[in-house]
Amino acid sequence: MAAPKAASETQLIARAQQGDEEAFAALFETHKRRVYSLCLRMTGNTAEAEDLTQEAFLQLFRKISTFRGESAFSTWLHRLVVNVVLMHLRKKGLQQVSLDELDTSQDEPVKRDYGDDDLRLMGSVDRIGLARAIRELPPGYRTVFVLHDIEGYEHNEIAEIMNCSVGNSKSQLHKARMKLREWLRDDRQRTQLDALTAPAGPPDER
Amino acid sequence: MLDRYLKANARERQQSWQILFLSLIPAGLLGAAGVAHLEKTIETIANPRISLANLQGQVVVRGWDKSQVHATWVGLSPRVELDTEVLPHKGPAEKVHFSTHVLDPLVSGKDCAADYTLDVPVNSSLEIRSPQGSVQIEKLQGDASVESVGGTISVTDVAGHLSVRSVGGNIEVIRPSGRVEAYSITGNLHFVSPTSSKLRGSTTSGKITYEGDFAPGGDYTLSAYSGDMEILCPPSASFELNAKSVRGRLENAVAITPRRHAPSPPATGYSLLGTHNTGEATVELTSYSGTIRIRQQH
Amino acid sequence: MAEERFGESAACWRFDAELPAYLEGEAAPQVTAHARECRFCAVVLADLEELRSASRALPREEPSRAVWANIRAALAAEGIIHEPVRAWQRWFGFLGVSHSPAPVGALAGLLILASMLLVPSKDLRRVGSIGGASEGARVAIASIGYPGQDSDLLRTVQDLEGSFQARRMSLEPSVKAIYEKSLESLNTSIRECTESVQREPANILAREYLLAAYTRKAEVLASALEFDAR
Repeated sequence: MAAPKAASETQLIARAQQGDEEAFAALFETHKRRVYSLCLRMTGNTAEAEDLTQEAFLQLFRKISTFRGESAFSTWLHRLVVNVVLMHLRKKGLQQVSLDELDTSQDEPVKRDYGDDDLRLMGSVDRIGLARAIRELPPGYRTVFVLHDIEGYEHNEIAEIMNCSVGNSKSQLHKARMKLREWLRDDRQRTQLDALTAPAGPPDER
Repeated sequence: MLDRYLKANARERQQSWQILFLSLIPAGLLGAAGVAHLEKTIETIANPRISLANLQGQVVVRGWDKSQVHATWVGLSPRVELDTEVLPHKGPAEKVHFSTHVLDPLVSGKDCAADYTLDVPVNSSLEIRSPQGSVQIEKLQGDASVESVGGTISVTDVAGHLSVRSVGGNIEVIRPSGRVEAYSITGNLHFVSPTSSKLRGSTTSGKITYEGDFAPGGDYTLSAYSGDMEILCPPSASFELNAKSVRGRLENAVAITPRRHAPSPPATGYSLLGTHNTGEATVELTSYSGTIRIRQQH
Repeated sequence: MAEERFGESAACWRFDAELPAYLEGEAAPQVTAHARECRFCAVVLADLEELRSASRALPREEPSRAVWANIRAALAAEGIIHEPVRAWQRWFGFLGVSHSPAPVGALAGLLILASMLLVPSKDLRRVGSIGGASEGARVAIASIGYPGQDSDLLRTVQDLEGSFQARRMSLEPSVKAIYEKSLESLNTSIRECTESVQREPANILAREYLLAAYTRKAEVLASALEFDAR
C-alpha cells in the first residue's frame, strides 16, 4: 500500500473520489494559495492566474479518481498546474516551452559579474522589482526558480514535476538566480544613476 | 523464487515482478518505444472470477484447462502500469482483477493503451471493461460480461451467460451456448450458430445478422431500429415467428404458416406472425425503419 | 594570487563551482572560506543569499472567492459532486454507473418499465414480479401515453443531457465522437418515433420504440458521465 501520509489528506481524497463536495472544498482550501501563487508568479497577471488556478483544479478534480497515492498528492497537483501554466504560456505565443525542454545546450554560460561591492544587493531587493524580474525570466528558468526558491520544492520533486533530471533542475535554478541577480544589479545601478543625475533630490543612502 | 513472489501481497508482488523483470532484461530493450512487457502466472481454483479493466488496446482472453491464469500485459507507453489484485493472498486465487492504471494525470489517448492476453481456467467467470479497444474471448464455460464504448467485441464458444454492452462497437458472438444479451447503439450485431436457448440483441442504428438454428423451446428477441436485420436459418429450423416493423419492410423467403388467430394487425407497419415447421422456438423480430429479411441458410 | 581584485583566480572558479551546492545547504567550506578572502565573490554570495531570503519572503497570494465558486459550479454541472450512494443504485451495476445524479431513481423505474414493454406480452405477467415495482409499473403502463407525457423520464433525460453537455469536452476526442454519434442516432429515433406516435396514437410498436429510445439515451448519457475522462 502507499506510504503513510497525513491521514486527513488521504481521507479527504477518498471522500472526494466519492463525490463529497466538502472534501473537494477542503482540498481546494489547502492547496489554493500555493497553486495561485505559482500561477501568479508565472504570469504576473491576477486575472490570468485566477483562470489558470480554476482550470488546474477543475482538471485535477475531474481526474481525482485516478489518483492512487504513488506520489504525493501535492506533487501530482503541481505537475498538473505547471502543465496548465506552461500550455497557457505556449498558447500566448511566448517562448517555446516544453516540460522536457530544459536542455542545457540553449543556455548561456553563467555570467560572472565582476562588479564592485557598491552594487551589493543587500537590503535593497524590493518585492515589486523582484516579482517583475521573475516574470522576465524565460519560462523554464522561471518555473524552476518559482518552484524551488518561492514554493520551497526540493530538486527531486521539481524533477518529478518538470519531468527533467535533478541535475537539470539544479543548473537551471542556479542560472535563474544569477540572471535575477544581474537584472536586479542593473536595476540598482539604474536607480543610483537616476538619483545621481536627478536635478534635485536627496543623496542616495545605503 | 517464483513461489515466494506469488505469495507476496498483490502490489508488492507487482513491484517484485517489475524488479525481477527489470533485472533480467538489458536496459536497452526496455527503453525501446517506452513499451513495458509483463507476464504473470497465478494459481487459481477451477472457477475463479476474473475481472479486467482496460482503457485502450486489445484484450484477448482464452479458456484453458489449467487452474491457472497466465497473463501477458504490454503497456504501450511508460505512463501506464498494470495493477493486479488477487484474493485470497495465499493459496489458489478465487478472484483476480487486472487493471491498467495511468500514472500521470496528464496522459490521454494512445498513451493509455495496453494490450492483454489472458489464458484463464475454462470455468472462470469473466468481467471485462474496456471502453476502447477490441475485446476477444474464446472458449469459456463460465459467465462473461463485457462493457465497452467503442471497439469490436468478439466472443466465440462461450457456454455461460454472456452479456455484452457497447455504445459504438460492433459485437460478434459465435457459437454461444448459454444465455446471450448483446446491446449496442450504433454498432452491428452478428450472431453465428447459437445453441443458446435465450438470446436478446438490440441495436439502434447498427445491423443485426443472425446465422444459425433456433434451439427447441428457445426464446430469441432481436430489435433493430434503422439498421437492417437479416436472419439466415437452416431449412429444419423450427420456430414461431413474431416479426413487426413500424416502417421497415419485411422480406420473408422461408415458408411461414400464418397464425390462425392472429391479433388484428397494426394500422400501419408490417407484421408477420406464423410458424416455420413445428414452431418449437419463439423468435421475435422488431424493427422501426430497417428491413427485416428472413432467408434460408444453405 | 595576483588577479584577486578582478575576481578571476582559480579559487574564484572553484567558488563558482561550489556555490550552487552551498546554497542548497550542502557542505562547501571552500565557499565561506573564499568569501572571507575575496570581496568580489563575497558580494556574489551575499547577493544570492539576499535574493533567496527575498524570494522566500514573497507573500503567498490568495485567489478571490470567485475561483472556488466557479470550480464548484462546474463540478456540480458535470455531476462530479454527488449525493451519497443509494440502494437503488445497485440496479445500475450493468451500466457501470456507481454514482448518479438525483434523477436516476426515476430512471430505475423506467428501465424496468421499458424492459417490460419490449418483452412479448405473454411474458409480462412473469416479468412483472420483479421487486415492488410491478404494481406501480402496471399502473404506469396503463397510463403511459407516450414519453412526451411522462415528465419523469423526460426530465431525467434532460438533466442527464445537461450534465453531459457540461462534461463532454473533457472526454477524450475519440470517445466523445462515439458518444455523440450514438446520441445523434438516438435523437433521430426519438424524433421519428414522436412523429409516428403523434400521427398514429394507436401504434403500440412506435410507442415502445420511443420509450426504448429515451431509456437508451438515458443509459448512454449516464455511461458517458461515469466514463472516467482519462
